[in-house]
Amino acid sequence: MSEQVAERKVAVKLDEEYCSRCSICASLCPYEAIKRDVETGKTILDIEKCQVCGICYSACPARAIDVIYYDYGSLIKYLKRAKQEYDSDTLVIMCKGSAPDFMGIERLFGVAKFIPLSVPCVGRISEELFLEAMVMGINKICVLACEGNYCRFDRGSPITGRRIMAFDLLLEQLGYGKEAVTLKRNSLKVKVDTNLCIACGNCVFYCPYDAAKLESPGVVSFDLDCCRGCGLCVAMCPALALDLENWERERISTLISQLSAEMKPPKILVFRCQWAVFRPLDEKSVPNIRFIDLPCASRVDLSHILEAFQQGVDGVLVAACAEDDCKQERASGKAQHSVAVLRERLSQIGLQDRLHFCSVAPRHPEEFDNEVEQFSQQIKAIGSKERK
Amino acid sequence: MIVTTQKPLDEVLDFVSPYSNILVVGCDGCTQPPRGLREAKTLSQLLELGGKLRNKSFNFKVATAAKQCDSYLTASMLKPLMEGVDTVLSLACGIGVQTIAELFPELPIFPAQDTQFMGAEEREAGTLEERCSACGDCLLALTGGICPVTRCAKGLLNGACGGARNGKCEMDPAKDCAWELIFQRLEKQGKLDLLKEFRPPRNYQLRAWRLTV
Repeated sequence: MSEQVAERKVAVKLDEEYCSRCSICASLCPYEAIKRDVETGKTILDIEKCQVCGICYSACPARAIDVIYYDYGSLIKYLKRAKQEYDSDTLVIMCKGSAPDFMGIERLFGVAKFIPLSVPCVGRISEELFLEAMVMGINKICVLACEGNYCRFDRGSPITGRRIMAFDLLLEQLGYGKEAVTLKRNSLKVKVDTNLCIACGNCVFYCPYDAAKLESPGVVSFDLDCCRGCGLCVAMCPALALDLENWERERISTLISQLSAEMKPPKILVFRCQWAVFRPLDEKSVPNIRFIDLPCASRVDLSHILEAFQQGVDGVLVAACAEDDCKQERASGKAQHSVAVLRERLSQIGLQDRLHFCSVAPRHPEEFDNEVEQFSQQIKAIGSKERK
Repeated sequence: MIVTTQKPLDEVLDFVSPYSNILVVGCDGCTQPPRGLREAKTLSQLLELGGKLRNKSFNFKVATAAKQCDSYLTASMLKPLMEGVDTVLSLACGIGVQTIAELFPELPIFPAQDTQFMGAEEREAGTLEERCSACGDCLLALTGGICPVTRCAKGLLNGACGGARNGKCEMDPAKDCAWELIFQRLEKQGKLDLLKEFRPPRNYQLRAWRLTV
């Protein structure tokens, strides 16, 4: 048993041989996953506490930390390829937390044509990458981070701020203008259609951050300074009066239609929390599987799952963080409950085995792939025929 | 609020199978859990999927009423939607279903819910529990705000019966003995004297069936 655990692939590794024991990583880790052993002076990584933000990786001066996702080498490889593909000398690096895709970039940075790079937390990007990009001929780098208070990894956005300030100084010394790197911050929030609100108070109860307020007489109001954009209230609103900026119900519906049309049977659609599964830069596309990233599994909308089935999808998998890992105050537990309730209703028409919920974490990169593989086998075994 | 449970999908499918153009109407009034626009949409999606398995396809229109028990509001809201509709599936309590049935006597109207009770919601625990039976003769002033008509299995007015075990009802061990709760509440308030007073049987004539406002 212990052997099996030891063999399990992990996303972050600390190489003792290279480690200079400077403890910078330990001081930056938002999760106390890295500690300095007082007696031996060694730096120790507890992978079970690690959330794979990559902050330690980008800060280690000795390159003693290795990370699977978005490591320096694959980022450079991507940049080389993308620079040709997008034919641009502007690079936009964006945290997944501040937008699902590159909507609004033109408005925020005033650039229409750019090389897009979306990462889970910009805190994992080192100055080295900025430099390398400039060497490659990129002359403008725009960084879109989450607003400091809303950083899913607590310190990623503030660290990026400090890093870019220092980088600017460096560029100035080299004789470059200050406009080479621009940092902006953006966080997505709930939107209310007060014409649809029925003042039921569901959002007030479910909001993990006390952002929703309801006083009689009246409809709900949100304190957007408290909203962290998880989308739980949106999924729980019985009146469809709420929506989430850039993750609007309509946008996800359109995506479902588009993806189910291009898939080959047996069609499998995966709704995944973007913090539970880090999408690889070179995600391989399998003809029968498509993914929709969500701001948190709690945004998973039961009507979207049903829409997928209506459009001929054979199986829907929801991949969430475990409740303890949830970046949104255990909201993933609410998602699990909602999916279980829907499964019960689907069982009344015999479709329950086509919906599955799983908890995964990026620290164990094979976990998600295994879940997808298992679910694919299950759907293959049931086949598409009973739905024809 | 009025607490309802969803009918099994098979039963609802049996209701609507003879029809093709179905209006699913939610209720934004007091039904709990909420049976508004989202549930109307979800139910129509489930019925479409269930229908496919029975080789039956439907056309759904989905809407919601502010409160289905208000015939004026419901009529004004539903009338513009009724063209081409073969049947209406109501997500309200039994009152809402009957209101729509009276408004459109020529159409079959079906309930999608089973109406259970008037209850209170405990959000954290995720439970809904019956609290009032609408008896027409409210006793709560004398019983520490706990209704024995509803919560005592025997509806006793002069409890307790003596059958409770460890504070639980002898009829249903999952349920608290209402009269033990009443005793504890009144004890806390120093009002145990209220229990010495004999309560004559309720006056059932006080319960109205129609009111004019």
